[in-house]
Amino acid sequence: MRAAWPVRLVLWALVAIFVLWPGLFAPLLRPLAPPGMPVVYDRASLSGLTAWHLGLVAAAIVPSALMAIGLAILVTRPAGADFLPLARALGGFGQTFPPVAVLALAVPVVGFGAWPTLIALFLYGLLPILENALAGLTGVPPSVMLAADGMGMTPRQRLVRVELPLAAPLIVEGVRISAVIAISTAAIGSTVAAPGLGEVIIAGLNANNMAFVVQGGLLTAALALIVHDALGLAGGLVGPRGARARTAAA
Amino acid sequence: MIELQSVTKDFAGVRAVNDVSLTVEQGTVAAVVGTSGSGKSTLLRMVNRLIEPTSGRILIDGADTAGVPAPDLRRRIGYVIQDHGLFPHWSAARNIATVPVLLRWPRAQVRTRVRELMEMLQLDPDVIGPRLPHELSGGQAQRVGVARALAVRPELLLMDEPFGALDPVIRAQAQADLARVQKRLGTTVILVTHDMAEAIRLGDRIAVMRAGRVEQFAAPADIIARPATPFVADLLGEGDRAFRYLSLRPAADLARPEGPGAGPAAGDADAPPLSPGTTMAEALSEMIWTGRDHVRVARADGTGGTVSRDDLIRAGRPE
Ligand SMILES: Nc1ncnc2c1ncn2[C@@H]1O[C@H](COP(=O)(O)OP(=O)(O)OP(=O)(O)O)[C@@H](O)[C@H]1O
Ligand SMILES: [Mg+2]
Repeated sequence: MRAAWPVRLVLWALVAIFVLWPGLFAPLLRPLAPPGMPVVYDRASLSGLTAWHLGLVAAAIVPSALMAIGLAILVTRPAGADFLPLARALGGFGQTFPPVAVLALAVPVVGFGAWPTLIALFLYGLLPILENALAGLTGVPPSVMLAADGMGMTPRQRLVRVELPLAAPLIVEGVRISAVIAISTAAIGSTVAAPGLGEVIIAGLNANNMAFVVQGGLLTAALALIVHDALGLAGGLVGPRGARARTAAA
Repeated sequence: MIELQSVTKDFAGVRAVNDVSLTVEQGTVAAVVGTSGSGKSTLLRMVNRLIEPTSGRILIDGADTAGVPAPDLRRRIGYVIQDHGLFPHWSAARNIATVPVLLRWPRAQVRTRVRELMEMLQLDPDVIGPRLPHELSGGQAQRVGVARALAVRPELLLMDEPFGALDPVIRAQAQADLARVQKRLGTTVILVTHDMAEAIRLGDRIAVMRAGRVEQFAAPADIIARPATPFVADLLGEGDRAFRYLSLRPAADLARPEGPGAGPAAGDADAPPLSPGTTMAEALSEMIWTGRDHVRVARADGTGGTVSRDDLIRAGRPE
């Protein structure tokens, strides 16, 4: 894990420099642009588009995670147990349904702009998180549940102190999957006029300017990589290794 | 004192526990034995209301447990289960602190109590305390489970096959530890096991269960001497009865004083005497193995004595 840090820091630095001063990279991109065409996207700042891109993803995935986790909690309580098979089926279904299709279905309902993308990201984000949260919550060993009850935890205490912490690594993994998918889906969202890095790629495709396509594409990929990696770190913190570190600190 | 009054539990058509009544006196150990599926765990879990009885009442010191909110009741009752059920994301020390923390004890008091318990169960607080459950051996995890159950000095301790997952050597050690801790604290214990030898070793009284019913509830000596049903006799194992009976009492009970007048029958005077805790069964086994007809045993008060083979054999047959 420690060996990954130099690579990680270099990636962060590269992306930050590229977003803030894309002009520095112009010589590298020059060969890709047709003669006489701009090399760096100039209709909006890359930093602004990156912020929009991440903002859309966050605005969709945060409520998506809250809802999916809430749903998983509900159907794993005795009162909601009847809905558990349904929720499980739904969770599995998410993996087979392409995000583009959600986008296509949302446009006729809410029109162009940021909204269809937001909705698509929100809906598509639900299912991986739901599936993982269910796996985490139902995967708590029966002996541990029995011990929690036997020690006199109330159902709420058992949920907060035992079930959620034990399910946390899987839940974070679900959020990670959803967030990474959302970053690439958000790029496609620019086809329906959502602001974001997809805009750069589409402009490049329209003008036959490979320099735009490459900078938009690489930046999107780098964001996905960074978010994937960062949530992996977060997963490590809530896992057993993290428990170890917390105990040592206490 | 724990009283079960006509307790019955039905699970969707299955009568897991059928009209069981028994009383466990303060400070004693009641062992519940029986074959798999005979309702032992169900019976135990009704005491701390992890399972609600279909009918019947359970009283602790005369008070009906149904009148206490279940979480409050359970915090007052220690509970140990077979694969220990330690919380995998908490250190051993935090696991032991579970109930004190639920009861909002002050931090310093919790810390002192955890150290005290770990020392009582021979777990080094500084070494074992910070470890996560997956970093403990089976025997250590089991002791952490017992420490957790004893954290708030419960008057009643429920144990469901607490030693089932341990190897024979560690199990014997854990049984001895339990006996020691139980005597010291005066805790009332209900212990579920499917091992008759364990029930005989630890139980003041033994309840033998079969198909949801208690077939006999009596002291180990009575169970061995007078099994109430063929099933109880079966569970004791025909071939082992005499040895089981002899395993109940210390050999020192049969010792005759040693001394100049005792004659040459004292056998090899140079052989070291057996320790005071040696049971009659162990003494007899020693004689068979060494080919002698007398052994020397030490008494707890420091005096010695000799035990003869004939006396032992006579003692192996209930009056
Ligand atoms: N929650 C439950 N729902 C339905 N049936 C149950 C439930 N718990 C136990 N039973 C049934 O009740 C009977 C007694 O089970 P119990 O667990 O008390 O047996 P046991 O004596 O503890 O067995 P073992 O030695 O295998 O642990 C069994 O037939 C079992 O299948
Ligand atoms: Mg059982």
